[in-house]
Amino acid sequence: MNVLLESKDVCKYFGGLKAVQKVNMRVRQGDVFGIIGPNGAGKTTFFNLCSGIYSPTSGQILFEGEDISHLRPEDIAKRGIARTFQNIQLFKFMTVLDNVKIGFHLSTRTNMLDAMLHTRRYRQDEEMIQTQGRRILEKVGLAEYASLPAGNLPYGIQRKVEIARALALEPKMILLDEPAAGMNPMETDSLRQFILQLNQEGYTIVVIEHDMKFVMNSCSRILVLNFGEKIFEGTPEQVRSDPGVNEAYFGKSGYWKEAQEDAEG
Amino acid sequence: MEYILIQFVNGLCQGSIYALMAIGYASIVGVTGLVTFAYGEVMMIGAFAAYYTFQYFADQLLVGILASFAAAACMGFLVYKICYERFFDKPRHISLICTIGFSMLVKNLAQILFGANTKAMPSVIQNFFLDIGPVRINAVQLIIVATVIGLSGALYLLFNKTQAGIRLRAVNQSRQAAALVGINVKRTILFGNCLGCGIGGTAGMLLAIYYQSLSPTIGSTFGNKAFASAVAGGMTSIPWAAGGGVLIGVIENIGTAFLPNSYRDVFAFVFLFIVLLLRPEGLSKKEGIRP
Amino acid sequence: MKTLRKYRWVLICLLLAVALILPQVISSYLAGILCRILLFGTLAGSLNVINGYSGQMNIGHAGFVCIGAYTGAILATRTGVPFVLQLVCGGILASLVAWVLSKPMQRLKGIYLAIITMGFCEITRIISLNWVGLTGGPLGIKNIPAPVFFGVKFNTPERYAYIFLAILVIFTFLTGRVLNSRVGRAWISIREDDLAARSLGVKLGHYRSINLMYGAFFAGVCGAAMGPYYRYIASDMFSMDMSFNILSMVILGGQGTLIGPIVGAAIINTVTEAFRFAQEYRMVLYAVIIIAMMWIRPQGLIGVSNSMLSGRGIVKKRGRGQKNERPA
Repeated sequence: MNVLLESKDVCKYFGGLKAVQKVNMRVRQGDVFGIIGPNGAGKTTFFNLCSGIYSPTSGQILFEGEDISHLRPEDIAKRGIARTFQNIQLFKFMTVLDNVKIGFHLSTRTNMLDAMLHTRRYRQDEEMIQTQGRRILEKVGLAEYASLPAGNLPYGIQRKVEIARALALEPKMILLDEPAAGMNPMETDSLRQFILQLNQEGYTIVVIEHDMKFVMNSCSRILVLNFGEKIFEGTPEQVRSDPGVNEAYFGKSGYWKEAQEDAEG
Repeated sequence: MEYILIQFVNGLCQGSIYALMAIGYASIVGVTGLVTFAYGEVMMIGAFAAYYTFQYFADQLLVGILASFAAAACMGFLVYKICYERFFDKPRHISLICTIGFSMLVKNLAQILFGANTKAMPSVIQNFFLDIGPVRINAVQLIIVATVIGLSGALYLLFNKTQAGIRLRAVNQSRQAAALVGINVKRTILFGNCLGCGIGGTAGMLLAIYYQSLSPTIGSTFGNKAFASAVAGGMTSIPWAAGGGVLIGVIENIGTAFLPNSYRDVFAFVFLFIVLLLRPEGLSKKEGIRP
Repeated sequence: MKTLRKYRWVLICLLLAVALILPQVISSYLAGILCRILLFGTLAGSLNVINGYSGQMNIGHAGFVCIGAYTGAILATRTGVPFVLQLVCGGILASLVAWVLSKPMQRLKGIYLAIITMGFCEITRIISLNWVGLTGGPLGIKNIPAPVFFGVKFNTPERYAYIFLAILVIFTFLTGRVLNSRVGRAWISIREDDLAARSLGVKLGHYRSINLMYGAFFAGVCGAAMGPYYRYIASDMFSMDMSFNILSMVILGGQGTLIGPIVGAAIINTVTEAFRFAQEYRMVLYAVIIIAMMWIRPQGLIGVSNSMLSGRGIVKKRGRGQKNERPA
């Protein structure tokens, strides 16, 4: 399988703080790639590097073999990477459907003149957005919320709206930053099912998550970060049995075993 | 060449007043975290307070400084009550528009109260000249620069050696952390705002003495200069804001050697554009809160 | 709301009919006020496109009006090109300047935009005051010829009201369409959350630039239309005071609504006419209105509460929270 996203010795320093240091990683097409690590390990910073919100201090990020390290977020989105945010960044005062409609920005071509004159392109675009937007909402299971303002919805639903909005981009890869945060176990489980379903439809997915059960049961490969550095990369089984991860991530207590048992059971 | 040198010295003098304005401005923005458009009007009020003091009470520079400081600090209190207090947790543009409204209010009320025409500022400084080579420095310039340096020194001591100053800097760094260690954040912000406005008022008076005139509409010019200087310092860094002020003063005066005097106010803005274009975060490297 | 939407067209037609008949039945004095309302309605609307829909803080709108006005006046007095072309040229030139201005604005946010636009407005005014050869300097440009359509000279407020009305209608119609399209949605998304917008592929700089140019175009058109109406223009008409007047109309009516700024323009122009006896308190009144609106209804009279602009307990994202955003 070919490599979709690759990072080579990526570093990001904030003054003296080494938020991300020399991280190498390869996400292959079709992966569900998990990034785990304790708080402050640099996971979100790494995401921000991948999606262009920060540019790396040194190192390279390649997407489909092309260097995207210093591209702006909008250009990276255009290349096919969509993302969600840890602290949900929906357009809070807009309806759910309008949120998704903005997601179609890249797949439509209407310019100002089209809008003024209501040309055929405008009408086609609007029609496409309307039907496709509804379709995506149905797929994510949010059809009933379509005309509600996004900011008033429960946390779990908002996270789903964010995913729906990301899907509207028709991306090749989706970066999910703690998608299960604030969800109850049942919601988490249905989210996991949904992510796996998306993966089967051909989306490559990179996910940051704290919930071990979630990560162990859904990811095909896992990257473990600690203090900005990569300490391991491998399959869930390898991660589980790696003593280094065990020690660095969970300390020397028996906590790791419990987490494992939790994940299995 | 000689002319340029003279203009350079003039620029340094005028720049020192701008520096004082910018110091006041930077301390306001630093402590409130909100930007004000009312600063120019506060300075104008300070200048008028000094004007009326000179007219009716005493012909002393020191009294003028006190009067302008006090009047401008009171204005600072009003600005805080009207434009800041309710809006700390709201989107920034609300308090910003409020300060615009406040500045319109003060400017137009001042026009009604003080009369719209330009007034001559009484000369409170005994004049004499000092010739250094081709450059002639007059007493006004010397005393203004001395006043600015004296005030800046006092401020330095205030910020670094007193409890109040340390509280101010703490709030400047992080409002939440300051609240956690038991600092009364709102009162500190109010104090910092009044202090900054007071400094601005004094600077306004000095500028009026330097120009030998003042009018209710002078505020926006004042405010623009303070703004431009503070932006050069990244809005919150006090030493850099002062440096920006001096720089703008020099650029203005040397600029008027080449272009008509009426273009004077353009230079500050052109400088501002260039700074913002090259280094939007200001010339300073210091990581501070940015509005 | 629903019934309102249903009868929207009836309402619009009714309003239009009233606006068409009104200049014929009222006095010249009232027609003058109507002209001001229509003119400032468009100006406030065009500022609202910038401030209200893309969240760029433009407080120097008069600068664009100034450029349009001088372009129109110079064309009218020196070349005699048709009136409509004067308007379009005024708009295009203002729009070009906006494009240039948008370059330094691209990397900046909030307050810095306000400073830049203010500086721009002042620079424009100072240049128009001093470039005597082109602009007539402090004397301004006099004797700007009134436009002639179908042999009718539009030299009275009663007649000129139709020109301002046409501009307002065209502006509102086009803006309504643009806002309901991909372009408008991109603007609004930038206003609501620029980071999210960018991560969805909305080119921040590009759309901000287009937005500023669009607003500036209509400001320029209005400027060019002002000349033949007042018969003369001078640089002191386009000071920051004018910018603030327009701004207060937008704020009063409601940022981010299509109809709000027009309502704001109508109210403020009517009220200031009513307070004509207290000429010098007029600006005081503007100021009080601005502050009062911010205290009571930051979203304006018409403003809906479904936006960032309403200021409903939004904790600001940048600034103090900046440090928390770093490593997570």
